[in-house]
Amino acid sequence: MAGTALVLEGLTKRYGTLAPAVDALSLTVQPGEFIGLLGPSGCGKTTTLRMIGGLIEASGGRVLVDGRDVTALPPHRRDMGIVFQNYALFPHMDVAGNVAFGLEMRGMKRGEIAAKVEAALDLVRLGHLAKRRPKELSGGQQQRVALARALVIEPSVLLLDEPLSNLDAKLREEMRAEIQDIQRRLGITTIFVTHDQAEALAMCDRIAVMAQGRIAQLGTPHDIYEHPASEFVADFVGRSNRIAGHAADGRLNIGDLTIDAPAPVAPGPVTVMIRPHRIAFTAGGAGWNEVRGSVRRVTYVGDVLACEVTAGGAVFLVEQPTQPGVPPPEAGAEVCIAWRVADTLVFPRETA
Amino acid sequence: MIGRAAHRALIAALFLFLLAPVVLVIPMSFSADAFLVWPPSGFSLRWYTAMWRETKLMEAARNSILLACLVCAATLVLAMPAALVLARGRFRGREALVALLTAPLLLPTIVLALALLILFVGYGLIGSWPGLLLAHLLVALPYGIRVLMTAVSTLPPAVEEAASSLGAAPWRVFRRITLPLMLPGVAATAAIVFLVSFDEVVISLFVVGPELTTLPVAMFRYVESRTDPLVAAVSALLVLLTLSIVIVLERAVGLGRALGK
Ligand SMILES: Nc1ncnc2c1ncn2[C@@H]1O[C@H](COP(=O)(O)OP(=O)(O)OP(=O)(O)O)[C@@H](O)[C@H]1O
Ligand SMILES: [Mg+2]
Repeated sequence: MAGTALVLEGLTKRYGTLAPAVDALSLTVQPGEFIGLLGPSGCGKTTTLRMIGGLIEASGGRVLVDGRDVTALPPHRRDMGIVFQNYALFPHMDVAGNVAFGLEMRGMKRGEIAAKVEAALDLVRLGHLAKRRPKELSGGQQQRVALARALVIEPSVLLLDEPLSNLDAKLREEMRAEIQDIQRRLGITTIFVTHDQAEALAMCDRIAVMAQGRIAQLGTPHDIYEHPASEFVADFVGRSNRIAGHAADGRLNIGDLTIDAPAPVAPGPVTVMIRPHRIAFTAGGAGWNEVRGSVRRVTYVGDVLACEVTAGGAVFLVEQPTQPGVPPPEAGAEVCIAWRVADTLVFPRETA
Repeated sequence: MIGRAAHRALIAALFLFLLAPVVLVIPMSFSADAFLVWPPSGFSLRWYTAMWRETKLMEAARNSILLACLVCAATLVLAMPAALVLARGRFRGREALVALLTAPLLLPTIVLALALLILFVGYGLIGSWPGLLLAHLLVALPYGIRVLMTAVSTLPPAVEEAASSLGAAPWRVFRRITLPLMLPGVAATAAIVFLVSFDEVVISLFVVGPELTTLPVAMFRYVESRTDPLVAAVSALLVLLTLSIVIVLERAVGLGRALGK
């Protein structure tokens, strides 16, 4: 399994005098790696992808494919399969024609094309719709045609711009697995753009969390989730309690509470973040932070129990799976909540 | 209720006013009389047979058809790249260029005609094919550019990018994607330009010569000297031609859609 190495070096895109849409972005993608570009709307994901694919000119920086500088190459000479955010299917061709197009451009023989197109359509479960026009398909079906069209050419790099955003939950799950499978099997180096963090966590080898045209953090899903590098990342990936505190003498003060920090921390204002499902209704022990508070509100959603607990002037959202025979706490009850010190995320507070 | 009835009557009256000349021409063309009189005293096909013997008119008709076809082809070849660049390009002076290229649409035709006359006399282009072609192109190109620009701007987004990412070089993108998707616009342009050229009379009057003339000019000359219903028969055929072009276009691509309405 060869795979292609993709390197972005200081990739920059400026539109006029505005703040750059992509700002000196550098990223090294290993051969066959599946990288997620995750970030809020407008952070420059699509722009980055389009520069990699050669659809827009970079204002600065380079794109290297297997060490070769392709920054100046037009898209048709880059051998990259792209799935567009809005599909961009050819309206005047049927589904099979759309999928066959890339193969025709490669000068493949008729019979071979037909076989490949059929296989690709089966892969995305659209074999029965081969003769339909794009406008006769649902959004999700169009998206799958776009995917088949990009995959069938077996490109050296696959660029996916939110390819699953229009599918229903079940199909989405299936297509996720399908994309991962194909990607692994073919060993195609893949950049996957999404603003759905669950999708990024579930699918990617590594995730680049983007904010304002830069990479805020690059790491494995586990890294990103467990060790977010900044308040932004912690907030964007997964949900968090976000509590203002103050660091002093290596410990953290929240109102009149004092808790332990997982690592030495410089004194000053901090933001303390704790994932709601990492907090439990137990007494802590060694290596745990424990606080007492009173239940303000209880929301029971069947499999999850969400409780807001006030302590030290702050509100802690606690989420626990419901358990048989354990009645949910009542509003106003005094409770003890605890979480591992290691689950306490501390970031110096950006003073505006 | 009365208001609505009045409204309908008004619209009917307007239509009558607009179409009356066309409608009048048709019974007139079947007149059995030797002169243009209304109503005709009897009906016959004599003028439909007589017109084919009118060699001057027939030659002018052939010229007009050939000219319209040439203008059509030249307009498409010139206006297509222009429209692509003007509708897509992000360069300084784009707006000004669009305005400049489509300005002849607004200019009084008589002014253009006069300017061309002055210019053409100096170059010996009066009454020549190149002169006529140039003059008609001047009128047709702005239409062509306008309609094709509309066609370009209604192309679905990103399909050309998709094609090029799939390995299609620019000319293949144009041939396989851009052109087929613009076909309604191209057909509309062809039809409009054909009719504009075929119908052009003001400028033609100034630049035709004794050896080379167009049908509208020949008809104009004819009625100056003769007053029989022969021109009515020719006109009726022209109405038929125009109508069939419009209907074919409407059937094929939907005229409204092609014009971007
Ligand atoms: N042609 C353009 N001219 C000016 N600004 C642009 C242009 N295209 C994009 N931008 C800006 O660049 C920034 C990044 O846009 P981009 O499309 O890459 O965002 P994105 O991360 O893909 O967002 P989304 O999740 O909504 O698709 C945005 O602030 C956008 O307004
Ligand atoms: Mg985007």
